[in-house]
Amino acid sequence: MYELIATIFKYIFTLIIYVFIFSIIRMIYLDIRSMKGYSKKGIEAYPYLKLINRREKFDFKLFESYILDEDKSIGRSNRNEISIQDPYLSSEHVRIYIEEDICLIKDLGSTNGTFLNDEQIEEESVVLNDGDRIHIGQLDFIFVSKDEEE
Amino acid sequence: MRTLFNNSKPITLVVLFNIMAFGLLFFRNQNVEIIYYGLTVIGIICFVYFFLQWRQWGDVYLFIIVTMLISIGLIMIFRLDEDLGIRQVMLFSGGMVLFLLSYLIFNSLKFWHKLTYFYIGSSLLLFIITLAFGRTIGGATNWISFYGISIQPSEFIKIIFIFFLASYYNTPDKLKIPPIKISDKTIEIKNNIILTIVAYGYMGFLVLQREWGGALLMFLIHITLLFVFEEDIKVILMNIAFAIVGALGGALFVYHIKVRIDVWIDPWADIAGKGYQITQSMFAIGSGGFFGRGLGLGSPKYIPEVETDFIFSAICEEFGIFGGVAIILLYFILVYRGFKIALSVENTFYKAIALGITAMFGFQTFIIIGGVIKLIPLTGITLPFISYGGSSLTTNFIALAILQAISKDAYSGMGGKYE
Repeated sequence: MYELIATIFKYIFTLIIYVFIFSIIRMIYLDIRSMKGYSKKGIEAYPYLKLINRREKFDFKLFESYILDEDKSIGRSNRNEISIQDPYLSSEHVRIYIEEDICLIKDLGSTNGTFLNDEQIEEESVVLNDGDRIHIGQLDFIFVSKDEEE
Repeated sequence: MRTLFNNSKPITLVVLFNIMAFGLLFFRNQNVEIIYYGLTVIGIICFVYFFLQWRQWGDVYLFIIVTMLISIGLIMIFRLDEDLGIRQVMLFSGGMVLFLLSYLIFNSLKFWHKLTYFYIGSSLLLFIITLAFGRTIGGATNWISFYGISIQPSEFIKIIFIFFLASYYNTPDKLKIPPIKISDKTIEIKNNIILTIVAYGYMGFLVLQREWGGALLMFLIHITLLFVFEEDIKVILMNIAFAIVGALGGALFVYHIKVRIDVWIDPWADIAGKGYQITQSMFAIGSGGFFGRGLGLGSPKYIPEVETDFIFSAICEEFGIFGGVAIILLYFILVYRGFKIALSVENTFYKAIALGITAMFGFQTFIIIGGVIKLIPLTGITLPFISYGGSSLTTNFIALAILQAISKDAYSGMGGKYE
């Protein structure tokens, strides 16, 4: 009796281990795709922020570009969609969101302020145009919208 | 089938595997305690997994891959020897506590990169203690015991060695000694020469303890980090030349190494004596076939030291070649994950540690699996996370905790180089 069960179980064990390996590899694959932002639609379909500064200058993690596919807030805290450990950023610094295909930027009451083309913006939404320079903390970004890109 | 593939969360599969295997073992041994121990294991795995996810303690894949390895190991040890299995479950619980503690300690202290001389001193002390008070088990003098607890200091020295190398590569100038003046000439010794001398000193002590596997492992870690971080190609070539001379010398003049190489080339010549272990291992692997004989239906007990060094043969016998390949694949993903962490962290010290630990897991697996399938000469070393043994298990969990802590930094972004 034991032999029969053990014989059946050995196939199930093999199946479980391989499904496990497969699911891990699949999760890793999805993880890489979302981390790099290299999804198929990725850069072409959405507006994005491009970093102008050289990343090596800073001792915190930065990406070359941040895709703005949805409502995104930037700040030091982990609760933000884009979390950057720049000490000059407030924990919730600025929010960029899309409304009817128009990108809007709004300061969230940050200590050091948000500058759009060298002018400080207040806590009300401002429309972003392609090529706008955004300065927050120590960082400079250029806003690239999808329409101008094509 | 497709929904099964897409919706199965890895943790569910680990739990399912544990339930089925421990249930099967209960059916085999008719001992209720096995169920309790199985539930303990499942409880600990789930608790730590959800804790890591809740606190966002870095990369969860690392831990989940290791839980699968440890489950297979625990089940195999339970099947081989129930008492050892119970001890291993205890060690696993202790190892998990140690895992969480070392994570916290490693993350909260920020001066690890400054302790270069402390690492050298402490490992020297451990080596001397081992040589002075060590007990000899299985040909190697590498055990010290006090109050009934035996530990293997060389396992812990591996981690200290990695820390030493990483602290060196973070600030190489630290290891510089002032120029020596002999009459009118000044001799300046470069710091990478000193590094080489210290690293080979470590290996020398391991050779004195007759722990060939440990020495080989340290050499491979050393050469990997050297290859990645050292810019002077002459130093790399010098290291390789040293190693070749050492290996040839060992193979020609050291009796123990000669025996191992002879057995490796032709184990059938002395099948009842020196070749017994490796031939039994190969019989076991061969008798397993593709899917194995089934848990508890094989006879791996014929292999000496099957719970520690030769556990891979037992797994191959009862889970088959597919099971064995799955184990190797799991180590592959683990090592891949480690490399990814090493690549994404920007601090040199952390990068070197992550790379060193990953290399340790990878090479250790290669050395022992290669040994038991007669791909390379056999050297006694444990299979990480699977083999029975307290020192090895706890060391591996400490190493994993450090890797986990580094992975948190890699993802939240805390780069830069410490000065």
